[in-house]
Amino acid sequence: MGHVDRARDFVANTERTTWHDEVLWFVRAKRDAAADTLPEWEALRDEAAGIKRDVLGRLPELWRRFEQEATAAGATVHWARDAAEHNRIVHELLRTHDVKRVVKSKSMLTEECGLNPHLEAQGIEVVDTDLGERIVQLREEAPSHIIMPAIHLKRGEIGDLFHQEMGTPAGLDDPDELTAVARRDLRARFLAAEAGITGVNFAVAETGSFVVVTNEGNADLGTALPRLHIACVGLEKIVPTANDLAPFLRLLARSATGQPISTYTSHFRAPRADDGNGGPPPELHVVIVDNGRSRLLAEPAFREALACIRCGACLNTCPVYRRSGGHSYGSTVPGPIGSVLAPSQDPARHAELPHACSLCGSCSDVCPVRVPLHHQLLTWRSHLAESGHHPRRRRLAFRIAARVLSNAGLYDRATRAGRWIARRLPSRWLDRLGGPWTRSRALPSIPAESFHQALAAREEERP
Amino acid sequence: MSIALFVPCYVDQLKPRVGLAALDLLRAAGFDVEVLDGLPCCGQPLLTAGEERLARDVATRFVEGTRAFESVVTPSGSCASTLEIHGRRLVPDPPGGRARVVELTRFLSDNGALPSPPTEFPRRVGLHASCHALRELRQGTPSETREQARTDPAAALLREIPGLELVDLTRRDECCGFGGVFAVEEEAVSTRMGLDRLSDHRRGRAEVLTSTDVSCLLHLEGLARREGPPLEVLHVAEILAETHLGAGWLETNAIRGADGSR
Amino acid sequence: MSAREKTGRKVDGDDARSEILARLEAAAPEPGEPFQRVPAPAMPDDPTSLLGARLGQNGGVLVTNASATDWPTHLDLPASPAAFAHVHCQAGTALPEHGVASRGVGLEAKAVHDLSPLDLCVLEAEFSVVENGASWHVPASALERGAALLAEHLVILTRRSRLVATLHQAYPRMTLGHTGFGWFLSGPSKTADIEQALVLGAHGPRTMHLVLLDD
Repeated sequence: MGHVDRARDFVANTERTTWHDEVLWFVRAKRDAAADTLPEWEALRDEAAGIKRDVLGRLPELWRRFEQEATAAGATVHWARDAAEHNRIVHELLRTHDVKRVVKSKSMLTEECGLNPHLEAQGIEVVDTDLGERIVQLREEAPSHIIMPAIHLKRGEIGDLFHQEMGTPAGLDDPDELTAVARRDLRARFLAAEAGITGVNFAVAETGSFVVVTNEGNADLGTALPRLHIACVGLEKIVPTANDLAPFLRLLARSATGQPISTYTSHFRAPRADDGNGGPPPELHVVIVDNGRSRLLAEPAFREALACIRCGACLNTCPVYRRSGGHSYGSTVPGPIGSVLAPSQDPARHAELPHACSLCGSCSDVCPVRVPLHHQLLTWRSHLAESGHHPRRRRLAFRIAARVLSNAGLYDRATRAGRWIARRLPSRWLDRLGGPWTRSRALPSIPAESFHQALAAREEERP
Repeated sequence: MSIALFVPCYVDQLKPRVGLAALDLLRAAGFDVEVLDGLPCCGQPLLTAGEERLARDVATRFVEGTRAFESVVTPSGSCASTLEIHGRRLVPDPPGGRARVVELTRFLSDNGALPSPPTEFPRRVGLHASCHALRELRQGTPSETREQARTDPAAALLREIPGLELVDLTRRDECCGFGGVFAVEEEAVSTRMGLDRLSDHRRGRAEVLTSTDVSCLLHLEGLARREGPPLEVLHVAEILAETHLGAGWLETNAIRGADGSR
Repeated sequence: MSAREKTGRKVDGDDARSEILARLEAAAPEPGEPFQRVPAPAMPDDPTSLLGARLGQNGGVLVTNASATDWPTHLDLPASPAAFAHVHCQAGTALPEHGVASRGVGLEAKAVHDLSPLDLCVLEAEFSVVENGASWHVPASALERGAALLAEHLVILTRRSRLVATLHQAYPRMTLGHTGFGWFLSGPSKTADIEQALVLGAHGPRTMHLVLLDD
């Protein structure tokens, strides 16, 4: 089952689709209003895009510098070539620190690496602490949006889940009350955790710092309490200097949700200070992860996707995403950016995703770092066709179409014959021949003459 | 200036009157126009299907076949964008250069001296923004960007028509969901996108739905005819022909068998 | 002692590091085009009202008409600060005459975990950013960092002379290279993960006041 089928299932629930579309369009509208507050919006996009493009050419130098600075500040830096190595490193750290309970804040990278199932299989309890992530974790499903993980769910479903999992009264679906219950439950888990795992929004080469952004403060609680902090960072997340953070942080929350900034923008550099109660000294570990990023960097057609700051604006604006839901994509990151990234990870599995797009271009215009998303999706289509990931029958059909479209005589004969037949068939038959086009659309009435025929006839009449 | 008119395959076959309207408007504006024959396609259906090599062949034929012209005008933002945005990447300039491919309303706005003033068209008109005219050719300012405002030539030409009221939309430039092969392969989402656009236009009490792209209109018209009150669907060129070339142009040029001309 | 010294052979970590760096070297594109830096925007004409509006968007409350000696009376809290059993005050922010002084777990906590019942935390910002309501703060200790998160109510004191227009002015003011941990605090802890309905107090403070003091 691919995007087409899952999307059809999602759309079949008209009411849910309407809600999903409207709530995300509302977020897009808030983003528009936030962009309106900054006359320098487009210049900021230029600057952010410029920094990222500069960074892509300097990654080895920048990461070496980061490693040197972070190490000097007391952090330990690890390198992981792929998801398995990342998971091994994290597990090894937890094992040697005898950790059984971990709190984790939102990190698409650890989702991508499948860290949770890996740790759980080793008997370690991992609690996702972002409320939306906690909800989907309890439902045993993947986030459907990169910053609003449970946006596919209605409050009633979350109420039912909490009733089952946390014993709330049946029928309780008030967001304030449900959040209060989750807060109590998660507070206890924060206090009990022996390690906190976070993602990273930006790493700074010059200072060896990294920035983690949340609204809930869950990354902060998860790192202020336990003595072990493991931060997992993708290779693309680095910027050269602290001053470079300004344009990105000005764009990030505004693009994501229309907020002027997220509530917590935390800059980590050293292990957290010891609270002096006699435990082992706190530790900070940074795991730098490749997992296909260097491969993407080697692809001139797609490397700009590494500029992505995961704001989610392209999801919110995408008319397909809003109507098909995040789970329809079947990739860690859904929506336009996900459909660019996923085929690079697994072309056979995700060959369909670049086609889950009407090429409207809204994603490219909304992107704060100017990733030409819809052109990359178009390019993926031909790359995947060339590498044998398109069905052979489909390719044959287009070869025939190309033959007709590049031969004037053939085009003329084929279209005349086509219209002659179409005008004589009963409409029921035509509808059946129309296939998916006519499932919901009427066929246009077929004119007796083409433009060229009508023109010839007219010029004969009035020479 | 040597001008050619390019009537793309689906316009040629399914909405021939749009081609006639474009031709008559260009002639009325004083241009000596040659109608391209034997070059039915820009290559877009192949390109968006992922068949870049086939698309390049078709686009190369087009570029070679039109290099004698300064401009090729077409009543399609989508085909113009294929040739201008992707065509320039796929097909290198032939010696002596290539024709610039220009969407009709852009061309009329930039060079046009349409017989003026237009006659009345007392209808409420919903203008569907073609994504490719807007976001590829930058005809207008996409709602996502905060770039310096650019005028949408189609809207500007329609606004000059007395009695014509442009409908206000809640989402002024959301995609209709046509998207070429997307309309068939992702039929469910495509349909939902189209229905949502239609209800936006209907909320604005549109009587006529128009666009610079026949492809969007075929999709929206097909949906509208299956559901809801009737909605007349006309290409911008047809409205301009009716109001600039003498009321009754639409009826006079109706094509047997085509929509709105039985 | 490094892992290599311990085992006397190259370990996986070194392999991964050099392999990743080699991959990046091989894949590196040509240097990017030169680009324009955005000039730091000027301070708006009425910084206070913009700061208040932006903080309000974040769910925080700006207090503008208070003085260094009476600000606790301007807070919109469910109870007077004097009624709270557990308070943490950053050094120099206490106002005992208004019931604002470290006490309870705010005074006695030995470990961050002990701070969970905290009612109120008072901090002082190094500076605040007008364009987004954020205040830059470097916690003096692990306990202070925890207190800011575990308290039910957060109050941050800032000064008019320490307002900057935007983040462009903010970063050059920091010494990130010497800061183990520092953060922008911009409002109460909040979430909208249930149907996009905004709820304040997701995990941490339910309210946040930014008190703007004259110098």
